[in-house]
Amino acid sequence: MILAPWGPFIPLKRFEVMAFWAQSSYKAGMSALEAYYHERLPCGVEFAALPLEGRRTTSFGVRVLSGLVDEPEDRLGLARIVEETIGKGTKKHGAQELSDAFDAIGAQRSSGVGRESFVFRCSCLPEFTDEALSLHAEMLTTPTYPDDYCKVAVDLGLQELTALEDDPQGLTGKLIAPSAYGKRLGRHELGTAEGLGRISRDDIADFWQRNFAANRMQITVVGAVDVEKFAARINSLFEGFGDSDNNGRREYEVEFSPGIQHHHKELEQQHILLCWPGVNVTNEAYPVERVALGILGGGMSSRLFTEVREKQGLVYWVGAWDEHPRGAGMIFMGASTTPDRCDQTINTLLREVERMEQDVTEEELNRAKVGIIAKSQTHGDITRAKLSELSGDLFHYGRPVPTSEKNERIAAVTIKDIQQYLSKHPRKRLCIQTLGPRAWESPAD
Amino acid sequence: MVSSDNGFVEHTLANGLRIVIEPMSEVQSAAGGFLVQTGSRDETPELAGVSHFLEHMCFKGTTKRGWEEITVEFDNMGSTYNAYTSKERTVFFGWVRVEDLEKQIELLADMMQSVVPPEEFEMEKKVILEEIAMSDDSIERRVYDLIHETFYPRHSLSWPVLGTADTVGSMTRDQLFDYFQSRYHPANMVLIVAGAVAPEDVITMAERTCGEWKPRSPRPGRLKPPFAKQGVGKFVTDRFQQQAVGLIYPAPSATHPDRENGDVLAAVLGGQNSRFFWNIVQAGIAPHVAAGRLDYCDDGMMIAFGFAEPSKVEALADAMRKEIDKISADGVTEEEVQRVKNRTRTALATESEAPYYRLMQMIHDIDVLGRPRSVTERLADVDAVTPSSIRSYLEAWPLGDAMGVASLGPCEWPNQ
Repeated sequence: MILAPWGPFIPLKRFEVMAFWAQSSYKAGMSALEAYYHERLPCGVEFAALPLEGRRTTSFGVRVLSGLVDEPEDRLGLARIVEETIGKGTKKHGAQELSDAFDAIGAQRSSGVGRESFVFRCSCLPEFTDEALSLHAEMLTTPTYPDDYCKVAVDLGLQELTALEDDPQGLTGKLIAPSAYGKRLGRHELGTAEGLGRISRDDIADFWQRNFAANRMQITVVGAVDVEKFAARINSLFEGFGDSDNNGRREYEVEFSPGIQHHHKELEQQHILLCWPGVNVTNEAYPVERVALGILGGGMSSRLFTEVREKQGLVYWVGAWDEHPRGAGMIFMGASTTPDRCDQTINTLLREVERMEQDVTEEELNRAKVGIIAKSQTHGDITRAKLSELSGDLFHYGRPVPTSEKNERIAAVTIKDIQQYLSKHPRKRLCIQTLGPRAWESPAD
Repeated sequence: MVSSDNGFVEHTLANGLRIVIEPMSEVQSAAGGFLVQTGSRDETPELAGVSHFLEHMCFKGTTKRGWEEITVEFDNMGSTYNAYTSKERTVFFGWVRVEDLEKQIELLADMMQSVVPPEEFEMEKKVILEEIAMSDDSIERRVYDLIHETFYPRHSLSWPVLGTADTVGSMTRDQLFDYFQSRYHPANMVLIVAGAVAPEDVITMAERTCGEWKPRSPRPGRLKPPFAKQGVGKFVTDRFQQQAVGLIYPAPSATHPDRENGDVLAAVLGGQNSRFFWNIVQAGIAPHVAAGRLDYCDDGMMIAFGFAEPSKVEALADAMRKEIDKISADGVTEEEVQRVKNRTRTALATESEAPYYRLMQMIHDIDVLGRPRSVTERLADVDAVTPSSIRSYLEAWPLGDAMGVASLGPCEWPNQ
C-alpha cells in the first residue's frame, strides 16, 4: 500500500477500448483508446471513471441508491425535502457558508431525486476537483438539517405543487404515473399536500440516516481527472459512512394499469400522454427498442413528426421517449393540440405505433441507427454528457459500458429484430391520459 | 481569409456573405449555422409573426428538395439541428460529426434559398396556430409578452415573436415570400462554424454553396424604442394558479459597455446563491424568484421577477423591493462579485469544450456586437467587474422608485 496525502493507493480495475469517436474519425496526437475504471472501493462506494484527454473540466456525480420508493406512504414528498435540505448546513458549515464554499471554487452543481436514486452532480475546473469532492462528502455525510430550513422546504414544496398546476406537460406526467408504474414507482417527486403537511425535521433526518450510506452510493467521474487520486480520496472521505443493510439495489415491480383517464382543466390545448411497458436497459432487446423509438419519434423525419405535424398540422410538438426504473421500461408518446383536434391526434398516434410492425423500411432503420450513434459522438464532446452516460450505465448495468459497445449493438439491429420486438410487446393495452377542456372520445366508447 | 489574434478566422465572399469560423483543436464534432439578422421587431404590425413563420417555412422546400428530403437529410447525418426566431434574429443550425459538416452546410445553405412552397403554406399555418395556443397556456410566455406590451408601447418590440392568431391567420403565402426575399440574402446573413475544422475547407464549402447568392440591400434600420420603464402592466386571469410579478428598471443595451456590470449585479441579486435566494426563497415567500437583464441592440431592462401564490404576492413584491433598495444603497461586496466570477470561469471552460455551445455564443456576439468574442475575452470582461464598477453602474442605471410593474394571474394586484 502506498501512502499519499489524499489516502492510501487503491488498485483499480481498468480496461481500454477504442474511443467512441475513433471509429469515425482519428486525429493525430490524440490517443484513440479510452480507459474505463470500475471498482467497489473498500469504503463500500461503487466507483467508475473515464478520464478524457484534452478536457478543461472535471465532472463527477454521486448517486445514492434510495429515492421516492423509500418514502413512507404517509410522507409522500419526503425524499425531495431531504434533497432540498441536505445542503442547508453541516457540522462544519452553515447553509450559506456551504454554498459560498462551493462558489469559492466555481463548482457548478445540480441535484435531483428520482424513483430509485438521488443524484448530486458537479462540474469544476480540474484544480478544484479535490475540494469539490470534499465538500460533497461533507454535505452528504454530516448534514444538520436545521429546523427552520426544514420548515421552509416543506412550505416551498406545497407552493411547488401549486406551480405544477400551471405546467400542463408536467401535470399530465404526474397524472399518468400511478397508472403507468403503480402506487410505489408512480410516485411524484413533489409528493402530496397531505404527505408534505406531516413531514417534520425528524422525518427528514431519519430518512437520511436510514438510506444514505457508503454501500448505497455510486460515484462516477469523467474528464480531466487523476483517477487513482480521486478514488483514494473517495475512500478516505466516505470510510465508515452509514450503516445500511439495504444496498438499494432492489428492483420494484411495475404495476401497469391500462385505461383512459381525463383531467379537466381550462386550457387552450389538450395535453395527451400514452404509455405502455417496454424492456429494461439491460435486456438484449433494449437496442432494438431504442432504434424503434428513433423511427417513431427520433427527429423531424420520424413517423410521428411526419404524420401528426407535417402532413396534418395537428400539433406543434409531438414525441416518443422511454423511461427506465431499474429493471423495467416504459414507452411514452405525447402531444398537445387544440381540443377539437384531440381525437384525430390520438387516433393518428395509435395508428402510427401499430403501423410500425408492418412496414419499417431499411432506410428508416439506418437513419434511426445513425441518429443514435452520431449523437453519442457529437454530444460526447461535452464532459458532463459523458458523465450522465457513465452514471446511467453504472446504475442500470452495474458496470461502465463503453459507448463503442453500445453503438455496436445499435448498428446490429435489423428490421426483423424490430418486428420481433413489436410483436412481443403489443400496444393493445395502453394508459392514455388527457388534460384539458374535454375528454377524448375513444372509438371504443 | 483573415485570422485574428483571438483564434477566429473571417472571410467575406464576393457577394458579401460573411463567414466566421472558430477552429477547435480538441473536439470531434462541428457545429454550423446561418444567422439571419432579422426578427419580430423588424416586422410591420400586419405581418407580426412573419419572421417566425418563415423560419418554419425554410424547412418546407427549395428548388432542390421537398420538406421530406430536408428532414431526412438532417436525420441521415444524425444531426442535432433546429432553428429559432427572436425579437432580433432568426437562426438555423446543425451539430454533426466533423465528416458530415460539408453536407450540413450545403443543406442549411439550400434552406436559405427556400421557395416558400405554396402547397405547404396552409398546413404550416395550422402548426403555428397550435404553437400560439401552446404559448397561451404558459404563464412564463404570457408574462414575457405582457412586459413587452407594457414597456415598449406601440413599438415593434411589443409584438409577440409568434405573432397572434389574427396576424398569422390572415397572412398570405405571397406576403411571406416577398418578406423572405427582402431579408434572406448575404447583406443580412452570416455563416458561423465552430469545431474540429480547417477554415480553408469551410470557406471552400461556403464558396461552392453560397457563392451564387445575389447581393441585395440590407434590411431597413431599426427604430429605437421609447424610454418607458414606468407604469403598470396588469392582466387578471384565473387561467393560472400562480401570480407572476415583475419589477422593471432601465438597463444598458446589448452593446453598451455597462452590460457586464449589469449582469453581475443581476447575478448577485437574483442568481444562484444570491440575495433573493437566501432572503426570499429561503424565507418561504416564493419558490421561484430571480433577476436578469433583458437586452436588445438599442435598449435593455433589468427585471426582478417571481411566481408566487396569490396570498403571497404583496410579500414577494415587498421582499424584492427591499433587496433592491438595499443593494442600491450599499452596493455589492467583493466576495459576492468574486463568486460570480468563479462560476463564470467554470461555465466558460464547459462552453469551450463543445462546438454547439460555442456556436450559440458566437451567434449572439456577432449579432449584437458585430464580432465574436473568445472565451478568454469574455472571461476578461467579467473579471473587469468590481464592487466599485457596480457602484458606478447603479448611479448610471438606478434601481429606484421609478420602476415599472408587471403582474399576471388571478390577483387584482397592484391595486391602484
